[in-house]
Amino acid sequence: MKKTTNHKLHFDYGRVFQSTKSFIDRHNSRQSQLTQKLNANHRATAELIVRLYLKQLNKAAQLDQLDTKSLPGFNTYNESLAKCKGCTKRTIINHRERLVNARFIIKENHCGQGGVEIWLNPEVLGMAKLSTTCGDNVMKIGEVASLFYEKAKNFHPLVHEQHEQENNNSYVDKSVTSETGQHEYGVPAGHSHGLSEPNPQPTHSANATGTRHEQDKNTEENANPASNRQEKAPEKPCKAEKQEQKLGAGRIFLLTLIRQFWAYARKVLYPDLVLSDREEKEILNLIWESVYGKLQWQATEKECLNYQETAYSRINMVARWLARSPGHWIPKPHIYFHPNNERNGFKKTWLWYVKQETLKLEIRNQLLLQQVKTEWQQHEQDKGRFREKTRLQLFRIQQKRLAKYRDESLNQAYQQCLHRCLHLQDLKRKHHA
Amino acid sequence: MLSERLQREALSKCIVWFYDGNVRTFYSLDKTHQRAKANKALGMRRLEKMLMETFKGQWETAIIYENKVNGNELARFKRGARV
Repeated sequence: MKKTTNHKLHFDYGRVFQSTKSFIDRHNSRQSQLTQKLNANHRATAELIVRLYLKQLNKAAQLDQLDTKSLPGFNTYNESLAKCKGCTKRTIINHRERLVNARFIIKENHCGQGGVEIWLNPEVLGMAKLSTTCGDNVMKIGEVASLFYEKAKNFHPLVHEQHEQENNNSYVDKSVTSETGQHEYGVPAGHSHGLSEPNPQPTHSANATGTRHEQDKNTEENANPASNRQEKAPEKPCKAEKQEQKLGAGRIFLLTLIRQFWAYARKVLYPDLVLSDREEKEILNLIWESVYGKLQWQATEKECLNYQETAYSRINMVARWLARSPGHWIPKPHIYFHPNNERNGFKKTWLWYVKQETLKLEIRNQLLLQQVKTEWQQHEQDKGRFREKTRLQLFRIQQKRLAKYRDESLNQAYQQCLHRCLHLQDLKRKHHA
Repeated sequence: MLSERLQREALSKCIVWFYDGNVRTFYSLDKTHQRAKANKALGMRRLEKMLMETFKGQWETAIIYENKVNGNELARFKRGARV
């Protein structure tokens, strides 16, 4: 962080290193793919860059007055960095690329013989707005959905990081619980024919074997999309009825949700499509599997309705995206809703949705923090609504207000914000003295 | 031309009236591999693909029926579009 002593900038190494570490941790927690994460080696390069940059900045600040808004970039050479770190030039280039992707480095300027000029993210130098997004956004946004989305494979870390407080692979526990949940509430084999038979009348045929069928594994292994479906398409009334009997009215409710979803999607995305019964049934089965995760979650009706709303808004997003450009297109529904379609399937819109919701939360939090900040400033100048209150009272009022949102990251950001406000006040007082 | 066994086992068939006056019947292939379960929707998609791509612009009417005696009509195509 910067300190204004005699109007000269000074960067404290310790603090910047801490913010570097937290920046990288946060980045890693957001990524699900190993290739997107920053490992210990990237970390080392980032820290090397930060160390040298701070050295440069502090030296420059002694000689000249620096503007905090537009700091000079870090002038360096790939070769000298490589020598410092004891690796090849290529490694440094690769690492820089990864850091650019992670938005750790925000801009690069290649000057040929003059080396490279790098600008770091102001968040790292402790100058940017406080970030309020940490932790798992998916959990925040939709609990039902988080059960079957974000099932990234859990890799062991490449390098053992002893100094690491928080493990990058913190998804381990979560995915385990969701998996066990599936096993616990695993449905009989007839489950897969849920949509083939809409007739909800129960029969007296008992569950024949009672053995549990691991659907997930079957479908994951079966690469051929059509053969996958073939198990679903033909009607198997007795099996469907069996599970109707087992799950009761909730089941019918969920199946209507799927039908409503498809009716809406068809109206919005495929208005001109003509389908026969059989094709429609197949698509409903695909939606049941890919969008609703085979209905293997044990959620209340309210949660399901919430999830339905998110699904609708995802369709709206797709419709807007299609309207934006004539070059945008989506494949036919049997491909679009296929669970194995990783390339241009409906599944991907979940990421869009998460991104949008995260942005909304972030903006809301930033506005709240802004309000808090102005309140402190006004309180300092004996103005505003809370001028009669003491500092402790103001703190309590703000804390109560922010606690309503039940957002851990907002609380953390509030603490940091408070720290900054009070720290600034202290500094001003000292300056006046 | 499919073998008689495959014609018999097909779940749907497509009768096409060509512009040149020919009328031909095509049978669906409903399996992804020999021992797979038959998927009617897949067979229909394949027939549709044949109409729209292989015989594009050559036929006036095409109708897909269930492949049995007095089978229902499943889909109807007119001049390159499904109706």
